[in-house]
Amino acid sequence: MNRAFQYRAASSYDEALGWLAELGPQGRVLAGGTDLLINIRAGLMRPETVIDIKRIPNIDQLSDSPTEGLVIGAGVTINELLEREEVIQHYPLLTACAEHLASHQVRNRATVVGNIVNASPCADMAPGLLCLDASIEVRSQAGPRTVPAHTFFTGAKQTILKPGELVSRILIPATTRDAQGGYLKLKRIAGHDLGIVGAALLKHGDLIRVAVSSAAPTPVRVRDFSTADSLDTVIAETQAAICPIDDVRCTKEYRLFMVGVFLKRLWQEVVA
Amino acid sequence: MIIHVTVNGQAYTRETTDYKTLLHFLREDIGLTGTKEGCAAGECGACTVILNGKAVNSCLVLAAEVQGAVIETVEGELKDGKMSVLQDAFVQNHATQCGFCTPGLLMSIRDLLNRNPTPSVHEIKEGIEGNFCRCTGYVQVIEAVLDATGQSEKKKELHHVS
Ligand SMILES: Cc1cc2nc3c(=O)[nH]c(=O)nc-3n(C[C@H](O)[C@H](O)[C@H](O)COP(=O)(O)OP(=O)(O)OC[C@H]3O[C@@H](n4cnc5c(N)ncnc54)[C@H](O)[C@@H]3O)c2cc1C
Ligand code: FES
Ligand code: FES
Repeated sequence: MNRAFQYRAASSYDEALGWLAELGPQGRVLAGGTDLLINIRAGLMRPETVIDIKRIPNIDQLSDSPTEGLVIGAGVTINELLEREEVIQHYPLLTACAEHLASHQVRNRATVVGNIVNASPCADMAPGLLCLDASIEVRSQAGPRTVPAHTFFTGAKQTILKPGELVSRILIPATTRDAQGGYLKLKRIAGHDLGIVGAALLKHGDLIRVAVSSAAPTPVRVRDFSTADSLDTVIAETQAAICPIDDVRCTKEYRLFMVGVFLKRLWQEVVA
Repeated sequence: MIIHVTVNGQAYTRETTDYKTLLHFLREDIGLTGTKEGCAAGECGACTVILNGKAVNSCLVLAAEVQGAVIETVEGELKDGKMSVLQDAFVQNHATQCGFCTPGLLMSIRDLLNRNPTPSVHEIKEGIEGNFCRCTGYVQVIEAVLDATGQSEKKKELHHVS
């Protein structure tokens, strides 16, 4: 690594939270490191100390029940999610998102929690978590608090997390267990690539939920729709809810257009 | 800090810095230079090693994180001075040209074969998705995997650019 920093491995949440409080902005949580180490190398983040949370007992908790729903600990990697039978069976939208995230090697390190804390507008897990109405469990020395995923993102690479806080778990309610869903993502190549724009659609009984990545400063969840709404309504309201930009990868018009195309395909696949 | 690891079946203890990547630890502190650095950003896969049974980009892992781990690198493919079946198939199929990507490809494929001993062409493509090769065009690599897994007949599913 081109920049020096210290490494500490926390053996409990209390230890990690104590260090976060002690180090302030000089300390940063290290999960899979697939965003953090790149940011450090690029000089975008300059922590004096990284706090590895992967050795905290039970941090890789991944449990599901028909009453409690799905719990994803901060150490759970994208591939662990993809390999878990209960997730494949009961949360197909989550595996659809996870399949789109990076390469096999990156997925073996990248955590689900790290993906949302990094809070890129193109975070591939975000649309799925938003549609599934996930809650984010946050801990600090002051105690735990839980916030809905749709209030977690506050801007590009910005979240509600305050200094001294970390995310311990993602909680997915049992209410939408077994909901059908899909996620489509525009990329430059067939292989792994960051998204140019992406759309997720969830159907549970009469309920339809839509979320979009790479089309606003944060991942966006649109209002709840129902199967009584027409596809045209869903597309029009989704396009109105996002504010994509022109950049090197494509124009804002193309992003808006592709959101419509993806919703039409997802509708045919999931709703029709 | 002092790091204890097992690499290709051999135990090593080395002193290193907190901020050294596993890639540089393997190359500089242990002296195993088979593993390559292409991009140092998780994109190219040249640095792929198998860490506790899972393929990872060693440029995105700190040596400090692998305390007590079991690691396999390309050097482990050689057994008693003999190349592995997979390496032989790479030679036979011209799947190595400049060779820079080869150690990483071999490790990704080793990980794939550990999970799935007879992968389809599609599964091979997915398995090497995180490995860039700027020379071969990948077809030879896929052919090598098909040969090494006794599935040579599937080569007809592939297209060479002529
Ligand atoms: C080659 C490559 C391709 C990629 N492709 C994609 C892609 O296609 N789609 C996509 O969405 N992403 C992609 N990524 C980004 C990255 O892999 C994901 O965002 C990943 O999920 C991040 O998780 P991590 O565990 O590696 O996070 P880390 O890098 O460990 O952490 C990310 C950030 O979150 C903080 N953090 C982590 N965990 C916690 C916690 N529990 N509490 C508080 N703060 C925490 C860290 O301090 C850091 O700031 C790619 C990355 C690479 C290198
Ligand atoms: S050097 Fe690690 S992925 Fe390129
Ligand atoms: S053989 Fe040259 S990059 Fe693959």
